[in-house]
Amino acid sequence: MSTFTVIAGREVHLALRNRSIIITALIFAVWFPALSAVGMVATSGGGAEAVSGAVAAVTLPVAILMGYIFCSDAFLREKRDGSIETLLCAPVSLRHLWAGKTCGVAIPAYLTTLLSAVVTLAMASAMLEAPPSLDLLLIPHMLVVVPVWILTAAGFVGAAQLALGMRENQILGFLFIFGFIFLIGGLQGIISGGAEISAAAEAALAAAGVALLGLARFIAGKVSKERIVTTIP
Amino acid sequence: MSQPDNISHDASTLYRGQNPGPPEMAAMNAVDVRGLSRSFDGREILRDVTFSVAHGEIFGYLGPNGAGKTTTIRILLGLLTPGAGECRVLGRDLAIDDAARAKVGVLFETNGLADRLSAADNLAYYAGLYDLDDPRDRIDELLALVDLDDRRNDPVGTFSTGMKRRLGIARAILHRPEVVFLDEPSSGLDPGAQRMVRDLIVDLSRREEMTVFLNSHHLDEVQRICSTVAILAGGRIRAFDSVKNLTAASGRPEMTVVLADPGDRARARETAMAFPYVSGCEEDGEVLRCTLADPGAIPDLIAALAAAGFRLLEVRRSSRSLEEIYLEHVGQSGCSS
Repeated sequence: MSTFTVIAGREVHLALRNRSIIITALIFAVWFPALSAVGMVATSGGGAEAVSGAVAAVTLPVAILMGYIFCSDAFLREKRDGSIETLLCAPVSLRHLWAGKTCGVAIPAYLTTLLSAVVTLAMASAMLEAPPSLDLLLIPHMLVVVPVWILTAAGFVGAAQLALGMRENQILGFLFIFGFIFLIGGLQGIISGGAEISAAAEAALAAAGVALLGLARFIAGKVSKERIVTTIP
Repeated sequence: MSQPDNISHDASTLYRGQNPGPPEMAAMNAVDVRGLSRSFDGREILRDVTFSVAHGEIFGYLGPNGAGKTTTIRILLGLLTPGAGECRVLGRDLAIDDAARAKVGVLFETNGLADRLSAADNLAYYAGLYDLDDPRDRIDELLALVDLDDRRNDPVGTFSTGMKRRLGIARAILHRPEVVFLDEPSSGLDPGAQRMVRDLIVDLSRREEMTVFLNSHHLDEVQRICSTVAILAGGRIRAFDSVKNLTAASGRPEMTVVLADPGDRARARETAMAFPYVSGCEEDGEVLRCTLADPGAIPDLIAALAAAGFRLLEVRRSSRSLEEIYLEHVGQSGCSS
């Protein structure tokens, strides 16, 4: 088994055993889409594009939020309790460590985001009193765009949590999340003129997500061990 | 062996460096630190620190809080960059040599364990990081060694401080490192657990032939298990020598005499003071403490006291404790003089 798989597997293992993180994630995965879906479906008329658009619009912010929530356990906790120092002494590069942790965080975040999509669909179905018809674009959205943006959010937040002190982390954590949410809302608005799902919007989101993920990887590679060690509380 | 030039002579009166030597000897030592300096925010933490640790040795690195002990370890491990000077572990610079880190183990004050994982899962994780082939036997062996085999499947979060510390040591040596850095391994442990950790370190050094770099405040522990120590204070190495040499009351050998008849103490003191090479003699409770200019004169003094008719119940050569040596260099307040 590669060290990448070992690191990622451990993060999944730890996330699934962290009740407080799981409960927080589930609350947001259910509560946020439930509120959003009601409004979106009510104003859209219940067409396939509208329901798919609602699911797409809800799942992306949820995905980013999930990435952030699970990051706090993988990166910030290890920094807070000092165990990151021991990991940095292992024969693993910092970028490798970051990548393994980011992927490990992304798996539970993706699963909770899928749950969020199901909840959104169930809410729409209940409101329309019939199974909603779905746009096929929702498939690449859930299989490509959502995982890419979870990785991007987790990657950025993880790199920042490694590099920054505790107070800066608290402030920048929120800035990252709301920055991502505004970015996605803006992209959707610019490309499709609303929250409806479209191939152009999905392609743009996927491309932007991949580019930002590359940037997060670059930043993670620039973080020095000294920076991490000297910002351990 | 000569003392390195870059050691401050004024500060290291007890420096008898058997390990340091010219740079070409670096590969022969497990750890080499030469002229190391480092500052944080304009405050000098380490200043021209030089010492080395031979292979297979248990080395004690002593100093008060904030002396720079952990900073030295972090620089050696490549976690911090040196301001000046150079550090080598097994002849390698761990800051740039990922592969060399596989030969080094470390236990910081935090144990590097995940509380939600079991003892066995924690070790399995590190076995994966160090790319160990089929580590199950090694994990079983270490859990038995640290007496945690019956708790192997319990979450580490349910362990006591001592159990976590023992598991932390097992984690640090899991991959059979050639050098292991232990930062305050007995910190926060009760006396029984301290003894267990101490015995474990000695056992590991012998059994696994590891070089142990022990950063500790427990001077008694260091005196018992370390072969060589360095005392760091005020950012400088104040003493660096074998424990044996340091505690041999260098320069002023003493002997303690217990007389069968305590009433003879004053007369015996006069007799001793008349003896050549005795520079001082005091009554200290029930015993006489004589300071000699030459340790070779001890047998002659014993013979002279016996010849004068004193019945000697016990005679022993005094040695200073490591604590005395430490306080001499560091000062009572923990600040270097």
